[in-house]
Amino acid sequence: MDFFLLLVATGLVSGAAYGLIAMGFALIFKSTGVVNFAQGELVMLTAYISFSLYTTFDLSFFPLMLVTIPISMLIGLVLERLFIRPMLGEPIFAIVMVTVGLAVILRGVTIMIWGPDPFNFTAGIPTEVVYIGSVPFYPAQLYLIGALAVMTFAGWAFLRFSRMGIAMRAVAANETAALLVGISVSRIHAVAWMLSAAIASVAGVLFAANFKLAPDLWFQGLKSFPAVILGGLDSVIGSAVAGLIIGMIENLFQGYVGQGLREISGFIVIVIVLMVRPYGLFGSKDIERV
Amino acid sequence: MKKTLIALAAALLASTAAYAQDPGVTDTEIKIGDVNIMTGPASFIGKAVSVGSKIAAAEINEAGGVNGRKITVITEDDGYVPARSFQALTKLIEVDGIFALNGTSGTANVLAMMPLIEENNLPTVVTTAPNELVYKPVRPSVFTVGASYADAFYGQLKYIHENMKVENPVYGLIRQDDDFGAAIEHGFDRAIKEFGVKEGPRVRFKKGTTNFAAEIAQMKQAGVNVLANGGIIAGAANILGEARKLSMDLQVAGVWSEDMPPSVNLAAPAGYDYLVADYVALNGPAIDAFMEKAKKYASADEVGAINRYTYLTYVGLHALAEGMKRCGKELTRACTIEQLRGLKDFDTQGVSAPISFDNERQLSGTALKIYQLNSKDKTFKTLQDFTQY
Repeated sequence: MDFFLLLVATGLVSGAAYGLIAMGFALIFKSTGVVNFAQGELVMLTAYISFSLYTTFDLSFFPLMLVTIPISMLIGLVLERLFIRPMLGEPIFAIVMVTVGLAVILRGVTIMIWGPDPFNFTAGIPTEVVYIGSVPFYPAQLYLIGALAVMTFAGWAFLRFSRMGIAMRAVAANETAALLVGISVSRIHAVAWMLSAAIASVAGVLFAANFKLAPDLWFQGLKSFPAVILGGLDSVIGSAVAGLIIGMIENLFQGYVGQGLREISGFIVIVIVLMVRPYGLFGSKDIERV
Repeated sequence: MKKTLIALAAALLASTAAYAQDPGVTDTEIKIGDVNIMTGPASFIGKAVSVGSKIAAAEINEAGGVNGRKITVITEDDGYVPARSFQALTKLIEVDGIFALNGTSGTANVLAMMPLIEENNLPTVVTTAPNELVYKPVRPSVFTVGASYADAFYGQLKYIHENMKVENPVYGLIRQDDDFGAAIEHGFDRAIKEFGVKEGPRVRFKKGTTNFAAEIAQMKQAGVNVLANGGIIAGAANILGEARKLSMDLQVAGVWSEDMPPSVNLAAPAGYDYLVADYVALNGPAIDAFMEKAKKYASADEVGAINRYTYLTYVGLHALAEGMKRCGKELTRACTIEQLRGLKDFDTQGVSAPISFDNERQLSGTALKIYQLNSKDKTFKTLQDFTQY
C-alpha cells in the first residue's frame, strides 16, 4: 500500500509540472490558434531569470515569485510584440515555425548568459523532508502540486468571470465576430502570451527546485506536450488535469512494470484516448491540429 | 613483365608518399586539431578539454617545443553533434592542414570522424571517449586512453564488498537504456557473480529522465543498500535526492562524471558520500602541481573550467608530443604512429597511470583509482590507488 501511495504521490508531483507547462501551451493556443513550440524554452528562461534574482537578492519563495512573475510577463509581451505580432495574418504554419526559431534562439541565449553548468536552485523553499501520513515529500514537491491547484482555479475563474477572460474565449470561439463586437484581438494575443509566460515561470522555478536547474530544462516542454493533447489543445483546465493523469500513469507503469517503460505509458494512454475522443478529454470538437 | 612494372610503379609511388612531408608540419610549427563540444549543454566538457590541450601545448612550447617546433592547437566546435564533428574535422584537415588530432568529443562523434581519421592516417589520441567501439577493431592511427565503465563499476563494488562491511547487502542497479548503461551493467554483472551477493532490481531509464521517484521506490521496496548509480550529473543527483527522501541507508557507486565540480555541487546536498572510480588523479601532489601550471598558462576563467577532462587531454597531448619527439626532425604521421605504438610507461607526472600503447588495442590508462566524496566539504579522498581490474 505504501508503495502504491508513494507512486501516486510522486506521480502527482511530476504530473503537476507537466500540467503547469501544458497550461501555458493551451492558453496561447486557445487565444491565438498557435502551438507555441518555444513554451519549454520560456519555462527555462524564466527559471534562469528567477535563479539570478534568487542568488542576487537571497529572496524566499513568495517574494521571489512576486518579482519573477511580472518580469516573465514582460518577457512574454516583448516576445509577442517582436516575433508574433508582425506575423498576424500570416499562415498558422509560418507562425508556428517562428516559435520553433524562437525556441532555438532562447536556448542559445540562456546558455550564453548562464553557461552550461547545472545548478542547485532551491528557490528559497526548505529542503527538509515532510510527511503526509506515511508518504514523504520535499516541500518543493508540495509547492508544485499546490501551484497547479492555485493556477487551475485562477485560470478557471479568469476565463469564467473576468472581462479579459471572456474576451479571450470569444476570440477563441470566433476571431472575426470578436473583432466585430469591438474586442481588440491583438491585445488578447498579447495578454495570452503574458499569462502564459507567468505560468511558465511558476512551472520553471518549481521544476528547477525539484529536479535541478539545467540548460536541458526546455525539454520538459516537449515532455509536457502529451498532456496538452490529452487534455485538449484548447482546454487550459483540461491540460492541467491531463498533466496529473499522465504523471500518475507514468509512475505507476514504471513502478509496477518497470524497465524504462515510463515514457511509453503516457503515449499509450494518449493513443487510446485520441482514438475515442480525437479532440482530447476536455477539448472542443472543432480545434485545428498542427 | 607488365605485372612487374606495375608493382615497381606502385612501390615507387608508395615510397614517394612515405617520404613526402605531411600536412601541418613546418620547421617551426606543428598543428594539432581539437574537435570539441564548445557550445550547448555539454560545453562544460569541451571547455575543460580545450584548457587541457592549451596548458599542455604552452608547457611543451616553453620547454622548447617538439624538436624546436612549437605546437599550435586549433579547436573546432561540434556542439556534440556527430555530423558536425565530421564537418569540423574536414575543415581542420582541408583548410587548417592539421598534423594530428587530440580532442575528439564523445563516442558517437569520434566514430563519425573515424573514416576521415583512417583515410588521412591521422595520428589521433582519444582520451574522453574510451568506449570499446573506438578501439575494437583497432584503427592503426588511433590511440585510446581510458578505462571502461564496466571496470569502473566493478572496481567500486569490489571495494564496497571488501571494505565497507554492509550488513545483509542487496545490490541494485539503475542505468540508462543505451550502450553506456549496458557497459555499467557488465561491471555490475561481474560483481554480482563474483561476490555471490543478493541482487536487487536492475532498472533502466531513458536519457534525459529527471524524475526517479518510481525507480528509487522500487529500490527501497527491494531493500537495496548498495546502489550502482548509472545516472549522470543532474540525473545522478536526482536519484540520490529521492533516496534521501526515502531515508535509504546506501553505499553508492557512481559514474566518473560525478567527480566534476558541477556534479558534486548538485549531488552533495543529498548527503551520500558516494564512490567514483576514475582513470585520472583528482587530488594529491600531481593535481596540485598541475593547478600551478594551469594558473601560469591559463586565464582565471579557464582555470575555473578545469575538471577531469582537462587532465585527460593534458595527458593525451603530452603522449602525442612524446611520439612526435621520438621521430626527430623527420616528422611524419607514419613515424609518429610507429613511435606511439612503441610508447611504454610514459610518465604523466602522476596525473594518470603511466601511458603504454604497446598492446594490440593501442589502449592505455585502464587502471582506476577509487575515490570517496565527502559530501560536507565536497572533496574527494583516495581510497585506492591506480589498480587494474
